[in-house]
Amino acid sequence: MTSSRLFRFPKPEWVNSPNTRTAGVYLAGALFSLGFFFFIDASTYSHSSKNGSNVHIKFVDWIPGICSALGMLVINSIEKTRLSADSYSYSGTGVAWKARLVLFLGFALMAGGLAGSVAVLVLKYIVPDYPFPTLYFGVANVVANGLIMLSSVVLWVSQNMEDDYTYNLAL
Amino acid sequence: MAAGLKTIIALSFVLAIGFLLVILSSALFHSYLTLLVVATYIIAPLPNWICGRCANPDDFMESAGSAVVDFGRFCTGFLVVMGVALPAFLAHCGLIAVPAMAMSIIGGLLIYGTIISFTMFFQEEQDF
Repeated sequence: MTSSRLFRFPKPEWVNSPNTRTAGVYLAGALFSLGFFFFIDASTYSHSSKNGSNVHIKFVDWIPGICSALGMLVINSIEKTRLSADSYSYSGTGVAWKARLVLFLGFALMAGGLAGSVAVLVLKYIVPDYPFPTLYFGVANVVANGLIMLSSVVLWVSQNMEDDYTYNLAL
Repeated sequence: MAAGLKTIIALSFVLAIGFLLVILSSALFHSYLTLLVVATYIIAPLPNWICGRCANPDDFMESAGSAVVDFGRFCTGFLVVMGVALPAFLAHCGLIAVPAMAMSIIGGLLIYGTIISFTMFFQEEQDF
């Protein structure tokens, strides 16, 4: 196992421990919550008395966040072992194909959410040249979508870590 | 005995101080929105407990139970950060004062720490 290594530095021991993946799942929830509350903060601020301008957060601003959250739900509800299911004979035909299609839809939703938040920031807030307390709504939208994406990445990586761990136990 | 009488007394003192801080933060500034922090931290460990009961911890090779446990952990992480983020954004939007935010965050962390230490002590007593 060690002779077939590709890189000169070995993989650290803590990567495969179950504590790390538990911490990763907690961290994913924390990141998602942070992103969600960034956006809630922006929308509450836009309807509070501190907002001096007459620009408010409408449903258009909510669409990228909804897309990102749906994409995260789709990506993480897929059984990861089905992605390479065609190499085994006992699973049905075309399972991996379907899994990859659904996974592609999830990634497209998530990337579309991030790109859509940048589009809302540019089209609604930067092009009309608003000053900063109004510009914060767009920036918070981008930050929220980026944090949801980061949370999804952390969740994905820590769930794959679990597969390595159980694989080592099975051997 | 890990959970001796002194531990329980100390934990209840910490819990009382946490509740005192949160109630003062709402009553001194006449804005009772900070009581939401207590509700958040009280329901924060619930998803972990419920999902831990739903999943069978004995067969860890079966990945069906692990997803439920992971969902519970995800919800708990969400709620813990929500307990800090909720007063922060209420203060940013001018709904509560900034000292009320600080008091409710500290009080909420004390309450959550008490809950977590209690569950740890009870688990330690169970597995003999």
